[in-house]
Amino acid sequence: MPVSPRRQKLSWLALAVTVAGPLFLSACATPPPASDPDALADFRETNDPLEPTNRVFYAVNNGIDKVVLRPLAIGYRAVLPETVRSHTHNVLVNLGTPVQLFNDMLEARPRRAGDSLMRLLLNTTVGVGGVFDVASDLGWPDHDSDGGITLALWGIPNGPYLFLPIFGPSSPREATGMGVDYVVNPLSWIGRGPTVDALGYSKTGLSALDARAAVLDDLDKITSQALDPYATIRSLYRQRRASQIDTVREGDQATVPAWFSSVAPAASPATPVGATKP
Amino acid sequence: MNPEFETAPQPMLNDLTRRSLLGSAFIALAALPLTRAAQAQPAEQAAVFIEKTVRELTAAVNSGNSTKDKASALQTIIDRAVDVNSVGRFCLGRFWRLASPAEQAEYIDLFHRVLVQNITGKVGDYQGVSITLVRTVPREDGVAVTTTVTRPNSAPSRVDWLVNAESGELRIVDVIAEGTSLRLTQRNDYASYLSRNNNSVRALIDALKQQAATG
Repeated sequence: MPVSPRRQKLSWLALAVTVAGPLFLSACATPPPASDPDALADFRETNDPLEPTNRVFYAVNNGIDKVVLRPLAIGYRAVLPETVRSHTHNVLVNLGTPVQLFNDMLEARPRRAGDSLMRLLLNTTVGVGGVFDVASDLGWPDHDSDGGITLALWGIPNGPYLFLPIFGPSSPREATGMGVDYVVNPLSWIGRGPTVDALGYSKTGLSALDARAAVLDDLDKITSQALDPYATIRSLYRQRRASQIDTVREGDQATVPAWFSSVAPAASPATPVGATKP
Repeated sequence: MNPEFETAPQPMLNDLTRRSLLGSAFIALAALPLTRAAQAQPAEQAAVFIEKTVRELTAAVNSGNSTKDKASALQTIIDRAVDVNSVGRFCLGRFWRLASPAEQAEYIDLFHRVLVQNITGKVGDYQGVSITLVRTVPREDGVAVTTTVTRPNSAPSRVDWLVNAESGELRIVDVIAEGTSLRLTQRNDYASYLSRNNNSVRALIDALKQQAATG
């Protein structure tokens, strides 16, 4: 039996379980009594009705992280020089650019879609398969664009906080966006056979390492300085996503690129601050 | 985006020097009706204040001094530039009113120590940092001064410094890194800790004591 379809089935199952799981397990947090309006307002603002379940998954993820992912990320950072790691990061970013482009278009952000398209074309060719991020230097910067942001711009409400096994902080909207991104990603569907599978697993593993290594110091700092790391991560995650969404929403770059009227394309891409994530 | 910013004249300021800042502000002021000019004043002051503070910060962090000297220089700057009382009160949220005056005083003292400790403890990590001012945005609770912070081997990041004069002098009341407000994050952390410890401010004070002792 070929491995690939089974792998895809498993991926789907994993996705379905992670998204729907918490909803079925839902041990709900008890809201404070109506006699304490301040506490009730806090409870509503926190919007984490599944907190007990979420905390279980948070503990599980932390356990996995402690014995597997964090040591691997430390090793990854210790063994490979910065140059290799940043080039690996570039390749992974480049592999994600088609999905980014797709979302730019669904977000109705033509300039950003243009940036993504140029990034994909330039970095894949001149940048040797994405190893070098030449597009950023030429004025086509990387930016945040994914299914979660797209759904937010379409007016879909975020819903309560979810802490998913493996994936971490999320919400119904974010999880849906993530699922859509998986489905529309050509890499999820291209090819069959052991080589493609091996490459797929390598990419997943590397992405995890790359992402984990990038937040090593920050996450260590949070867990050592916060009184309740779960709540701190919840707060940081929500604020960060809201800020990314606002950036896209307000990102009203002119349709004519900044370099069009100036002489050199490499001249500073004069976008409003906040419109691009450098 | 703050709707005020659309109309308020906030010049884009890159690679800012004090002179160019004052120059731009002057031009902006000259172009305005008087009512607008009155609004632009605090923004200009905030930009000058932050420009001075980040210059001191980067000088302290990038100096060739020992880590200990750097930390004490950093503490001096924090004490002078940050409205610790206001930040501490914000972080306690609704529990500030529930705390007794003695608890409030003890909390603020501990909060101050932990804050300084958390910032100065990582002073080595900031080596090589450079900060440029980008623009100012008036907000309800003060003026946000947007800067770009560049550290070696990492992508530049956007940091907003929220400044107001509620304490009588211009002071920093929040730092917003890539859209995440440090004081709001801290408030959520404390609120969650409190809700899991019977809403007891005493429990929070004890936890802070432990942090201050171990840090």
